[in-house]
Amino acid sequence: MNPINKFWWFVATSAVITLVLLFSLAWLFWQQLTPAEKIIIDTISSKNFIYIFSAILLIAGCLIFVFDGILHVYILPAKKLTGETHIINSVNHSHRICIEGSRDIMRLAEAINEGAERYENLQRNVDEMIHFARTESEKERNILAAVMSELPEGILICNSEGQIILYNKKARQLFESRTGLKQEQNLQNGLVGIGRSVFGIIEKKLLVHALDEIAAGLKEANRNVSSFITVSREEKLLRAEAVPVLNHLKQITGFILIFEDITEQLEKESRFDSLLLSFTRGVRASIAGIRSAIEVVLEYPDIKKEQLNEFTGIIHRESITLGNMIDETFFNYSCRFNSMWPLVKMSAADLIETVKKKAEEKPGVTIHFLKPDIPCWIKVDTYSMITAFLFLLEELENETGQHEFRCSIECKNKFIMINIMWEGNPLKIETFRVLDKKIIRIEKEGKPLTLKEIMKHHEAEAFSFVDRNTANKSCIRLLLPSTGESVSENTRNLTILPESRPVFYDFDLFNQPGQVPEMDNRPLSELIYTVFDTETTGLNPEEDEIISVGAIRIVNGHLLRDESFDQLVNPGRTLPFESIQFHGIEEHMLQNQPSIEQVLPRFGKFAEGTVLVAHNAAFDMRMLQMKESKSKIKFINPVLDTMLLSAIVHPAHTDHNLEAIAARLGVSIIGRHTALGDAIATGELFTKLIPLLSKMGIYTLKQAREASRKTQFAKIKY
Amino acid sequence: MQPKILIADDEQSIVVPLEFLMEQKGYQVMAAYNGEEAIEKIISFNPDLILLDIMLPIIDGFEVCQMIRSNPNWKDIKIIFVSAMGREVDIAKGLALGADAYITKPFANIEIINKVKEVLEHNK
Repeated sequence: MNPINKFWWFVATSAVITLVLLFSLAWLFWQQLTPAEKIIIDTISSKNFIYIFSAILLIAGCLIFVFDGILHVYILPAKKLTGETHIINSVNHSHRICIEGSRDIMRLAEAINEGAERYENLQRNVDEMIHFARTESEKERNILAAVMSELPEGILICNSEGQIILYNKKARQLFESRTGLKQEQNLQNGLVGIGRSVFGIIEKKLLVHALDEIAAGLKEANRNVSSFITVSREEKLLRAEAVPVLNHLKQITGFILIFEDITEQLEKESRFDSLLLSFTRGVRASIAGIRSAIEVVLEYPDIKKEQLNEFTGIIHRESITLGNMIDETFFNYSCRFNSMWPLVKMSAADLIETVKKKAEEKPGVTIHFLKPDIPCWIKVDTYSMITAFLFLLEELENETGQHEFRCSIECKNKFIMINIMWEGNPLKIETFRVLDKKIIRIEKEGKPLTLKEIMKHHEAEAFSFVDRNTANKSCIRLLLPSTGESVSENTRNLTILPESRPVFYDFDLFNQPGQVPEMDNRPLSELIYTVFDTETTGLNPEEDEIISVGAIRIVNGHLLRDESFDQLVNPGRTLPFESIQFHGIEEHMLQNQPSIEQVLPRFGKFAEGTVLVAHNAAFDMRMLQMKESKSKIKFINPVLDTMLLSAIVHPAHTDHNLEAIAARLGVSIIGRHTALGDAIATGELFTKLIPLLSKMGIYTLKQAREASRKTQFAKIKY
Repeated sequence: MQPKILIADDEQSIVVPLEFLMEQKGYQVMAAYNGEEAIEKIISFNPDLILLDIMLPIIDGFEVCQMIRSNPNWKDIKIIFVSAMGREVDIAKGLALGADAYITKPFANIEIINKVKEVLEHNK
C-alpha cells in the first residue's frame, strides 16, 4: 500500500478507537447522574451547542494538521531515507540523499551521506587496486578471445544441459544465415547465442550418441573424442568433433564442439574419386580390347587378311583412346595437384623484387631488374620459390664466376617467363642436370627439396639456354603458369584486440541447473531475459501500429550486447507527424522493411524460453497481443515490468519513468527513443533492480510478479 | 549341339575378338550392344551362356542379370560378367545377383575361354 494511504489509515483507525473509548466513558458517567443533574447538563449543552461543536472541530482540524506535518516531516522522509540508503549500499554508491524533513531526519541524512562518501572513497581505492590487478589478465583474455573469434573452425562450448556457454564468430556464421529468406530458415533451426540450447542447431539424437560414445570411451580410457557429420542450414557439410569437459571427478560437465566446413573438400575428393574410377574403367576396357585382339592374332597366325586388319584396327583405335584418356585425366588431375600446395597469387615483379633484395644482401652481388609494363600474375609458394631463386643465383655465381645478373619478366600465352641472364658462357646441360637434382634445404631442419621438385609443385619448368635475341646472352629461364589478375585470395579479417572483450561466453552457465524447470521458483538472477521495446505510430494499441522492435538478452545478469534484435517494421500506413518527432523514424526508412507479420515470428524465436522484460510492459504486450491473429504468434513468456519493479523498491517515489529510475540508479541512457536504445536502457535498469528486490525479500520470478501486481501502476490498462 | 553364347558389350573392340575366339572354339555366337538388345537376343537366340558387360547403354548389366535371374524360363542361362569395374564390391555385387563368374577387364583370352568352358561344363 502507498505509504501516505497507510499512514492515514493508521490515523483514522486510532481516531475511531479513541472516540469509541471516549463515548464509552461518557456513557458510564451519564448513567451515574441523577435526573436533575442530567436536565442541568442537557440544558447547558443545548444552550452552548455551537461553542462545543466549534471546539471539537477546531481540535480535529489541529490534529489533522499536526498529523500531516508528522507525515511529511518524519514518516515520508524516513521512508525515502531507507530507499535511498539501499540505493547507496547496493547499486549506486555515488548517490547522495537530498530530502526535506525534520531537523533530526536531515541530520541523519547528512550522517548517511558522510558515511557513503567515506565508503565510496574506500571502494574507489579497492577498485583501483582490483583494476590494476585485472588489467594484465584481461590482456591475455582479450588475446584469447580475439584468437578464438578468428579461428577457422567454428567452436561451441556447452554445459551438460546443452546450453551454449561460448561460441566464436565462425560458429555463428556456419549456423546462421543473414540474408532475408534464409532468416526464415533460422527460425526453424534456432540461433547461436549464450544460454541458448545447442539442440536448436544440431539434432539432439546425434549429440546424445556422440556423448554416449565419449562416456564409453572414457571408461575404457582409450578414446575421448567423438566425430560426426552434420548439415548446416545452408546445406553445408560440417565435420563435428565433440570433446568432453571433465570436472575434478572426471565427470562430464560440458563439451566442446569443433566444426569444420568440409563441403568443398568432400566435393574435391569425390570429383577426384570419380575421375580415378572412370580412368581405371576406361583403361581396363581399352587394354582389354588391345590384349584380346593381340592374343587372337598371336594364337591364330593364319587368320584371314580382313580379320587381321580388323584386329590391328582395334589395337590402333584403342591405343589412341588410351592416350586421350591419359591426357584428359592428367589435365583434370593437375587441378587437384595445385590445391595440395597452398599457392598464393602475387605479381611476378614483386617476387623478383624480393629476390633482388635478398640476393643483394650478399656483398658484391648486383641484380638489374627491368620491371615489365603490365603486371604478370603467378601463383607461388613464396618461401620455396624465393629460396629456389637464391639457390640458382648462388650456383650460377659459383659456376660462371659472375656477380652481376639481369632479370626480366615476359608474359607469353599462358605462361610467365622469368629470365636470369649474365655475360659469358651458358650453363652446360650436364651442369644444369646436376643442379636440378641438388638438394635445397628449405629450413635448417626442414624438408629437403630439389629445384626440380619445387618447380614441379608450381607446375613450372626451369632450363638453361642462350637467348639469341638479346645479344647472345646466357640465360636461365623459368616458365610459370600465369593466372588472371584478381583480388587476393584467402583474405582474413585483421585481428584487432578489443578494449573490452566481446561477450561470446559465460562460463557461469556451467553451474546452471536444468534448461526449462519451473521458471516461477527460480532466482531472478539465474533466469534468461529478453528485454524489449517497441516504437509505435501512436499510443492507442487499438489503432496504432508497431514500427520498430528492439531487444537484447540478459544471461546470468550480463547484458549481451552482441545478441540483440533490431528491426524496423513497415506499418503499411502513414506516420503521424508528432510520432516522427518523438522517435525520429521517417516513412522512407520503413518502405523496404518487412511487415509485422514477418517480424514477430522472428522476434518470437529470439525470445523463446526467456522472460520478457519491458518498461511499461502493459503497453508493449498489448501492442503484441493486437497482432496475435495476424502474425499467428502468441507471446506466452512470463513478463516483468521495470516500472512496477521500481515502484516496489522505491514506493516513496512517485516518478517511475525511465529517466527518473536511471537517475536514481546511476545509469546513463544513450540512444533513448530508439527501440533498441530503450531496450538496452531498460535492461541496464533491470540488472540493477534485481539486487534491490532481493534486499526486500523478493528472490524468485513468482515473488516479483506478485509484488508487481500489488503496486498501484499495475492497474494501468491499455 | 553347339552351346550358344551371347556377348553383350557396347565396345566393338571387345565384341569382335571375343566373337572370333568363341567361334574358333566351336560355339554359336551372337552379339548385343546394349542391355535392351541383350534381352531381345536372349528371347530370340536363347543362349546357354552370356558374357555380360556391366556398363551397358539403356539397361545396365546388373539389371540384365537381375531380369534373367527373375525369369524362371531363363534359370539355366549361365552368366559371366566381363567388366572394367574391378572393385571388390562390384565383383561381390555381380556374384550376389546370380552371376556364375566375374572376369575383370583386361583379361587373357585363355582365361575367358577356360572360364566359359568351366561354367558350361558345370551345367552338365
